Amino acid sequence: MNNPFPLSREGLLTAYRRMRTIREFEERLHVEFATGDIAGFVHLYAGEEAAGVGIMMHLEDHDRIASTHRGHGHCIAKGVDVKAMMAEIYGKATGACAGKGGSMHIADLSRGMMGANGILGAGAPLICGAGLAAQKLGHDGVGITFFGDGASNQGTVLESMNLAAIWNLPVIFVVENNGYAESTSVDYAVASDSYVDRAAGFGMPGITVDGTDFFAVYEAAGEVIRRAREGGGPSLLECKMIRFYGHFEGDAQTYRAPGENEANRQHRDCLKIFTGKILEAGVVETGELAVIDSEVADLIEDALEGAKAAPLPSAAELTTDVYVTY
Amino acid sequence: MRAVGIIANPVSARDIRRIVSHAGNLPINDRANIVLRLLTGLAAADVSDVVVMPENGGIRTQLMRTIERERRMGTARLPAVTYLDMPVTSTYLDSAAAARRMADMDVGAIVVLGGDGTHRVVASSCGQTPIAGVSTGTNNAFPEFREPTITGLAVGLATSGLVPADIALALNKRLVVTVNGRHEIALVDAAVVAERYVGARAIWKTESFRDLFATFGEADGIGMSSLVGLTDPLDRTTPQGRRIRLAPAGTAPRTLAFPVAPGLIGRIGILSVETMAPDVPCRPSVTSGSIALDGERELTFGEADDVSIRLETDAFRTVCVSDCMAFAARHGLLVHQSSSPCHEGEPR
Amino acid sequence: MARTLSMKDAINEALDQEMGRDPTVVVLGEDIVGGTGSPGEDDAWGGAMGVTKGLIHKHPGQLIDTPLSESAYIGAAIGAATCGLRPVAELMFVDFMGVCLDQIFNQAAKFRYMFGGKAETPVVIRATCGAGFRAAAQHSQMLTPIFTHIPGLKVVCPSNAYDTKGLLIQSIRDNDPVIFLEHKNLYDRETDVPEESYAIPFGEASIAREGTDVTIVTYGMMVPYSLEASETLKREGIDVEVIDLRTLSPIDLDTVFESVEMTGRLVCVDEANPRCSIASDVAAAVAQEAFGSLKGPVAMVTAPHAPVPFSSALEDLYIPSPERIADGVRQTMGERSS
Repeated sequence: MNNPFPLSREGLLTAYRRMRTIREFEERLHVEFATGDIAGFVHLYAGEEAAGVGIMMHLEDHDRIASTHRGHGHCIAKGVDVKAMMAEIYGKATGACAGKGGSMHIADLSRGMMGANGILGAGAPLICGAGLAAQKLGHDGVGITFFGDGASNQGTVLESMNLAAIWNLPVIFVVENNGYAESTSVDYAVASDSYVDRAAGFGMPGITVDGTDFFAVYEAAGEVIRRAREGGGPSLLECKMIRFYGHFEGDAQTYRAPGENEANRQHRDCLKIFTGKILEAGVVETGELAVIDSEVADLIEDALEGAKAAPLPSAAELTTDVYVTY
Repeated sequence: MRAVGIIANPVSARDIRRIVSHAGNLPINDRANIVLRLLTGLAAADVSDVVVMPENGGIRTQLMRTIERERRMGTARLPAVTYLDMPVTSTYLDSAAAARRMADMDVGAIVVLGGDGTHRVVASSCGQTPIAGVSTGTNNAFPEFREPTITGLAVGLATSGLVPADIALALNKRLVVTVNGRHEIALVDAAVVAERYVGARAIWKTESFRDLFATFGEADGIGMSSLVGLTDPLDRTTPQGRRIRLAPAGTAPRTLAFPVAPGLIGRIGILSVETMAPDVPCRPSVTSGSIALDGERELTFGEADDVSIRLETDAFRTVCVSDCMAFAARHGLLVHQSSSPCHEGEPR
Repeated sequence: MARTLSMKDAINEALDQEMGRDPTVVVLGEDIVGGTGSPGEDDAWGGAMGVTKGLIHKHPGQLIDTPLSESAYIGAAIGAATCGLRPVAELMFVDFMGVCLDQIFNQAAKFRYMFGGKAETPVVIRATCGAGFRAAAQHSQMLTPIFTHIPGLKVVCPSNAYDTKGLLIQSIRDNDPVIFLEHKNLYDRETDVPEESYAIPFGEASIAREGTDVTIVTYGMMVPYSLEASETLKREGIDVEVIDLRTLSPIDLDTVFESVEMTGRLVCVDEANPRCSIASDVAAAVAQEAFGSLKGPVAMVTAPHAPVPFSSALEDLYIPSPERIADGVRQTMGERSS
């Protein structure tokens, strides 16, 4: 079968598995959160999978990402262990951060995941450091910082764009523009609504893509990442996307237009769009996707059961990991 | 006086060619300023109502801020601006839907801010409503480069009937690409690529190009149609098209360097340059691949698909800005007689 | 081989030796080279105070001038520390911490704990601190308590050139973020400094002067002032022990308790403002752990609860002077102030 896509069949299936894993993970969390078993703040990435996976299909472990409060999808796309993530969200000793971080701080530096971040815009300076380290250590790693339309207004982001530009850092600024900063519309809050314009202000190229189209993201990300790897410096990639859920779990979303969520799920579901394309082209078969769906469902079920059954951190852990030596 | 429609695409000039070929990005503020200059020209030609496509890309926000500020200051002399009441999807569907609605409202003309891709979408949905292009895209083979104030004046004069339709409006050719009964159009060119992949849509790699079909091609044009301009130029009105059979550089008798996109010179093999007669369907040279319409990959096809490309003449109407302005000059359309006339050489 | 060096030169030598030892040590900050991109000479400044002068020629590629953009470059130093570099970021004045504090207290300080012990952030943030430069309210503060309040940060504030070299080398080799505060008025003071590289462990106070009657606990610029006060008091028959904390986080309270158990009297001297300060912290610790040893109330000699004033007449009153320190000691000895 002629494969019209820029990924091999295996690549397409991998991308699908990652996106499906994120979707399943988030949909299950949405359900479990409602039961009251999960504490704290949880921000779901469902609906935005094509952006995270489309970008991270190009990355390896020595490439770094700095994530946001909405970080589960980035973690999964970057290869962080799903079971450890789930246990972390349940605050268990077996969690990715031993229960000390929670949903907003999942990290795995061994996979190049520098952390979800509860402070909006804080990842941008950090990723400049990752880019600087790659430059100084002489490897071809790139750094990608994700931020939303909300955090785009943080001074840290703008300062970092300047720094990345003057140092020609291998850094990519990814704006995940889902139209809402919490509940506030991008139309209200962003003076220049085009992020490409902002990039241009720092002398760096920018691209806007439909973030619900995996292939559009994949192709654009491939170019900006290649450019950064080859010493071409930073660029900005704006993914226009939609958030299936509210800002956080428990958000009544009264700021949305009537029917908005339903319309988004019907017409702008990045997973549906992706599977539609690969099935239409005949490169993969429905049955293969169903197998992945079932494996992913089992994985998430295992992760949930494992997380629920896992031990809580011991009291002694309260004051460990705070200094190397004291 | 009929209203004038404006469709301003906020995401033209935002694609991957920013990275691969230093293509420009027209800032949103400047797009809002272009609309304001258009409005100024329209107002000077006595257009009182303008309907605009809503978008969430920032043009509307900037535009309305400025209009409200100027109204407060009492400095604005602009037509009334109304936004269409329609959902915004932030895709090309918005331009198509807006064009349909404006045609239904019987606007006198639609001014389009965008590149070839945006113009294609509007032209395929607006029926016989004349369009006037303002180039704000990456590749701008179809819309001419011109100061938008003048476009506004000309569109106003055409809409009011001060310039007669037979002078103000021109008929244009287009290509109709059909895949298994699904029709798409191209205003300038349709390029057949031997890759069945539609990603970020914009085209910039030339190795896999196999055919080019074009309605016109100017030697100093940009994009795929420049291949026509550089081999056998064709103007916008002659009732024929061009077909060029293509091959990878170095594999054909001659290899041509041409401007694929702003900042990007490609090399491609030319197998033949042929004339397309109107209304005669042509088949692509390859049995599977994709088709880029006016520079954007839109369609894919395989061995089982029925694909044809056909030239249509007199297909849609555009406002001919230079002819409008020449007529206005000849007939003094912009001359306002003073209440106390003064004659040349006579002191007041 | 006895050799004296100013604190400024001791910092330069520590950076020089560490950059030579380890190519992942990079130094970045505003004007630390100076003149980058300008038509004039390279190494035009070598830091606002000239501390890094000359290093660029020895370690090209390891010193980077930054834009005036503290959030970005302090954050970049922190990010780079998690990715294999050991950055030393210079902040011209500790007062500028406000514009990049998030990167320090929400990011660097928390990574190790928040990520379950799986992150190391070996970054040093150097900054000048302290009053006495007629630099007014935004360039003169002693903000040590802000940093000691944050778990995960180590805080160093040396009082002399010898300690500075050893503590800076230790800071660079440490795998936690270190806030390294250098008092501007100590920069030109010289002490014996060995030429070879050496590290002074954190959490070990030094006894700057041994004495038996009263314990002064202090750090930074207040160490020489306390020593000066002690000489005055010696003539009055009061034998003062001066403890130089050297590192404020971790803090060596054992040495403090031992001394207080011996003297029974405590004077906490701190250039910071009094509320929630190092002085009040030490006083509270002694009240909790060594209350039985105290023969009288603890005294605190600190700056007033006011911003640093500009006028020399006021700034001289603001900074705890040797005279005020001596008064504090006399107060604990049950004597009337002179």
